[in-house]
Amino acid sequence: MAEVATPAAAGASLRPLVWTCAVFAGGVLLHADRVPSWAAAVAVLLIVWRLLTAYRGGGYPGVAARALLALTLVVIVLLRFHTLNGLAAGTTLLLLMAGLKLLETRAARDQFVMVAAALFLLLAACLDRQELVRAPLYGLQAWLCCGALAVIAAPATSARAALALAGRGLLLAVPLALLLFVFFPRLPGAFWAIPRSDLALSGLSDTMTPGSIGLLATSYEPAFRVQFDGPAPPPQERYWRGPVLHEFDGQTWRRIPADLRAHRPREHLGTAYHYRVQLEASHQRWWFALDTPTQAPDARVLLTADDVLIGAEPLADPVSFDQISYTHTRSSQPLDAAARRQDTALPPSGNPRAHALAASLRERAGSDAALVEAVLDYLRSGGFVYSLEPERLGSDAIDDFLFRTRVGFCGHYASAFVVLMRAAGIPARVVTGYLGGEWIPYGSYFLVRQSEAHAWAEVWLEGRGWARVDPTAVVAPERLERGILDLIPQDLPARARLLHASPWLNELLQRWDAANAWWTNHVVSFDFETQLNLLERLGIRSPDARSLGWAFMLALCLWLAVIAWHVGRSIRPARPDPLSRAYARLCRKLARIVPRAPHEGPLAFGAALIAKRPEVRTSVLPLLERYAELRYGCPSPGTRALDIEQFRRAVARLSL
Amino acid sequence: MDVTRAATASGSARWHPLAGLANALNARMARWMRRRQGSDRLPVTLERRRLYILPTRAGLAFTALLFLMLLAGLNYANSLALFLTFLLTGFALVVMQQCHRNLLGTEVVAAIAPAVFARSTGALQLTLGNSDDIQRMRLEARLPQGALVRADLAAHTQQRLELPLAAPRRGLVRIERWRLSTAHPFGLFRAWTWVHTEITMLVYPHPHGNLPMPVDSARNAGVRAHAGAGADEWAGLRPFRDGDSPRQVDWKAYAREAPLLVKEYVQAASELRIFDYAQLGALDQETRLSQLARWVVDAEAHGERYGLTLPGAQIAPDRGPEHRHRCLAALALFALERGQP
Repeated sequence: MAEVATPAAAGASLRPLVWTCAVFAGGVLLHADRVPSWAAAVAVLLIVWRLLTAYRGGGYPGVAARALLALTLVVIVLLRFHTLNGLAAGTTLLLLMAGLKLLETRAARDQFVMVAAALFLLLAACLDRQELVRAPLYGLQAWLCCGALAVIAAPATSARAALALAGRGLLLAVPLALLLFVFFPRLPGAFWAIPRSDLALSGLSDTMTPGSIGLLATSYEPAFRVQFDGPAPPPQERYWRGPVLHEFDGQTWRRIPADLRAHRPREHLGTAYHYRVQLEASHQRWWFALDTPTQAPDARVLLTADDVLIGAEPLADPVSFDQISYTHTRSSQPLDAAARRQDTALPPSGNPRAHALAASLRERAGSDAALVEAVLDYLRSGGFVYSLEPERLGSDAIDDFLFRTRVGFCGHYASAFVVLMRAAGIPARVVTGYLGGEWIPYGSYFLVRQSEAHAWAEVWLEGRGWARVDPTAVVAPERLERGILDLIPQDLPARARLLHASPWLNELLQRWDAANAWWTNHVVSFDFETQLNLLERLGIRSPDARSLGWAFMLALCLWLAVIAWHVGRSIRPARPDPLSRAYARLCRKLARIVPRAPHEGPLAFGAALIAKRPEVRTSVLPLLERYAELRYGCPSPGTRALDIEQFRRAVARLSL
Repeated sequence: MDVTRAATASGSARWHPLAGLANALNARMARWMRRRQGSDRLPVTLERRRLYILPTRAGLAFTALLFLMLLAGLNYANSLALFLTFLLTGFALVVMQQCHRNLLGTEVVAAIAPAVFARSTGALQLTLGNSDDIQRMRLEARLPQGALVRADLAAHTQQRLELPLAAPRRGLVRIERWRLSTAHPFGLFRAWTWVHTEITMLVYPHPHGNLPMPVDSARNAGVRAHAGAGADEWAGLRPFRDGDSPRQVDWKAYAREAPLLVKEYVQAASELRIFDYAQLGALDQETRLSQLARWVVDAEAHGERYGLTLPGAQIAPDRGPEHRHRCLAALALFALERGQP
C-alpha cells in the first residue's frame, strides 16, 4: 500500500506518458479536419514515435535536432499561412510544437505541460466550431484531460479510478459552471481581434455559373432558420434574398462591388412580415432575409440598393437578427441611366439565336409586361425539363441551353431569362438565394437548408419598379410548394434519398435540428445583450456590476458549501459489524474492572483483567477467547453467523 | 500494520539566489505556526484550524491557463470556450476541497524515535490513523531536513511510517516539528499541517574498541574457582538488536529464512564487571565512551552483570535491556551540554 518516494519509482510507470499521448491525440483529432493534413500526420507520427521509444527504448533526437525541427516546422507554417496570427495558423503551430514537446516529455512537469497544450487545443476547437454535435466531444476531451492530471499526479492510479475521480470533480463543477456562464459579465465587444478562419463552407458565393447552384442541392446542411412573429408568407412567396448578380460575361454571373447608391423611393405592398433569422456560421458575408428587407439589422451590416444585406465581416459565429420584410414593392420613378446601362449590358458577341428570339418576341409583345409573359410562355411550352444533372453547355451557353439541351436547373432558367430580357432592352438581374423552407413543428420555425438554394430573376417594369420573376416556376411549378428533394429524388445521392424516404428518420432529423436551433439560440449566441435581457427578466431592474457581484458571491458561497458537504459526506462513521458491536459492549461492561487500553488485544486484555480481579477468570476469559477465535481464527462459513449471535447473547447475559 | 521506510529524498540542493530570503521566511512562518498552534500532545486528530492549503506550482500554472482561456472566451464572446473555462474553474475548486478533505481528520497516533547508535541511521516512527470511511491517498510525511515518505491509508486502518533520521554523533537529536501533507488527487493543491511534538532521539556512542573487558577480580575470584572459564550456558534466541555483535547471530537459522536471531548465553555463574571511565586513561574522551559502549553491549549479550563508573556518576551492577539502556544513555549524554558534544 505504501510507496517509497524515490525518483526511480516515479519514472518506472509508463501510465502517465500513455495518458499524455492520449489527450494530445484527442486534441489532434478535434482539429484533424481543419489543420493541413500534413500537420496532423506529423503530430500523429510524433505520438507514435514517442510511444515506441518509451516501450522499446531507443534514441531521442538531441537538442540541436529538435531545435532544427522546430524551426523548420515554423517556417513551413509561415509559408503555408503567411502569418502566425490567426486561429488556423496558431492551431497548426500549437499542434506541431506540442508534438515536438512530447519527444522530450519525461518528468511529471513536462507531462503537465502537454495536458495544458491539449486544453489549449480544446479551447481552439471551441473557438473554431460550436455545433451541438461537437459539444459531447469537447466534454469528453475535458474529462480525459482531467483524468490525465490525476494519473500524472499519482502514476499508480488506474484508468478507471482516474476517470472516476475526474468525472466526479467535473460533475460537481457543473453547477458552478452554469452559474458563472449566466452571471459572469460579458464584454460588449472584442478587445483584441485575431482573424478567425479563412475557411469558406458550402453556401452561395458571389458568382454564379448556371450549374453552380445545383452543387448545393445535395447538401443537407442548414443555412438559416426563420421564426415568424405572426403569419408566415405563403410558400410561393418564400424567396430568401442572397447576392444579386448584375454582370454577365457569357458564362458567369458576377456581383458588382456593393451598390451603395441611395434607395429609390418606393412603396411596400401587402403584408409586413416580422420575423427573426438565425444564420449559421457560413464564413460568408450574406445575411439572408425574406424578399425585400426594410432595414439593416445591425451597424455591421449594409443594406445595398439591390436589397441585399452584406455584413462587414464573414460570419464566424452563428448570428440572429430581427427583420421586417415585404414580398411586393412598387416604384413609380424611372430607373436612372447608370443602373439601366448596367442591367441591360450583355457581352458584345455570342448567343446570336437568343438575341434573335428576344427581338422577335419583342416585336410581337405590346408591352414590357407582355414580353415577360411571352418569354415565360416560351419556356413553359418549349419542352424544357427541370433537372439537377444537365448536359454541359458549349461556348454560346445560352443558345445551347435554349435551343439544344433544354434541360437545366434553376440557374440555367434564371440566366437564360435575364439574357433574353436584356437582349430585348429590359433591365433585368439574377437574384440568388433560397426558396422555401421546411416547417419544424418542434421549434415552430422554418429550416432553410443549403439544398433549398435557388436562383431567380428580377425585371424592371416602368411604373412598377423591380418585379420578381421566377422562370423555374413555369417549368417546374411544384418547386414552389416542395423542396428540391421531393422534386427530383432520382438525381440525389442515395443517402439523401434514404433520409427523405423514411418519415421516421425525417422526424428524427427535424427533432435534431430543433435541438440544434435551441443550442444555437440559447447557448452559442448567449452574449452581452442576452445576458442583460435575462437579468432583467430575473427581476434585476438595472443590472449593474455591484448587484451582480453580490448575487454571484452569494451563489458561489452556496455552491462551495454544497461541495464541501458533498465531499465530506462519506465521513459518517460506518456501522461496525455485529461481532465488533458485541465486543464493544463486552469491553464497556468490563471497563468497570479495568478499561481496555487501545493497544490491547482480547487476550492481553483478559490477562490485565485477571491481574486486577482473579475471580473473573471463569466468567470473562472464555468470552474473550471466543471473540479472538471468531475474529482471528478460521471460521466455518456456515455457522459463523450463528456463532456470532451466540457470542452476542453470551455478552448480553454477562453480569459482573 | 504496514511499516514504510523512506529512502532519503535526494533534495534539490541547487543554489538559488533567493534561498537566503526563503529560509528566513520559512523560519518566521515556523515560529508563527508554532505560536498559533502550540505544541501537540499525541494522539492528535487534524482539524480545520491547523490545515493550510495553497496551489502547487502545477496549480498556479493551471490558474494561469484558466485566465488565458477566460480572456479568449470573453474576447470572442465564445460561449463554449467560456463554459469550458468555468467548468475547469469549478473543477479546480472541487479539487481544492477534495485535497483538504484528504488530510482533514487524519489521526497522528504516535511519533517516536527509538534510541540508536551513532554512525547509523535512526528513524522517526510515525503511526497515522484513519477512522473515517474514506481512503486517504498519498499522505506525505517529511522532516524539515528533507526526508520524505508517502503512504495510502485505507478506511479504518492505522499505518506506521518510518522517516530516516541521521545519527552521526552521540547525544540527542531533537525533532521540533514535522510536516504531514498531501497533493492528492490532482496535484493542483497541497494541503499540509505541521505537527509540533518534542521528540528527542537518543544517540548512543558508536560501540567500538577492542580492549579486553575488565574483570572485577576482587569480587569474582571465588566464583570463578568453581566454574570453568567460558562455560557459557545456552540461554536461548532473541531478536537482533542494533549493537549486537555479528559473532552472536545465529547465521544458520538466518540461512533457513528465519529472522535475524541472536544466541544468548548465560554464564553458568554470572561474572560481575565494572566498567570504569577512569581506567581508560590513555585514550581521549570519545574513544573511551566508544570502548565503554562496546563493553556494555558485549556484556549484556553474554548475560553478564555489569556496572558503570563515570566521573560524577555511578550505575550499580545489573543486567537486562533497561539496565543496558541506562548505561548507554549515560554514555550518550556524558559531558554534554544541551545534548551536543
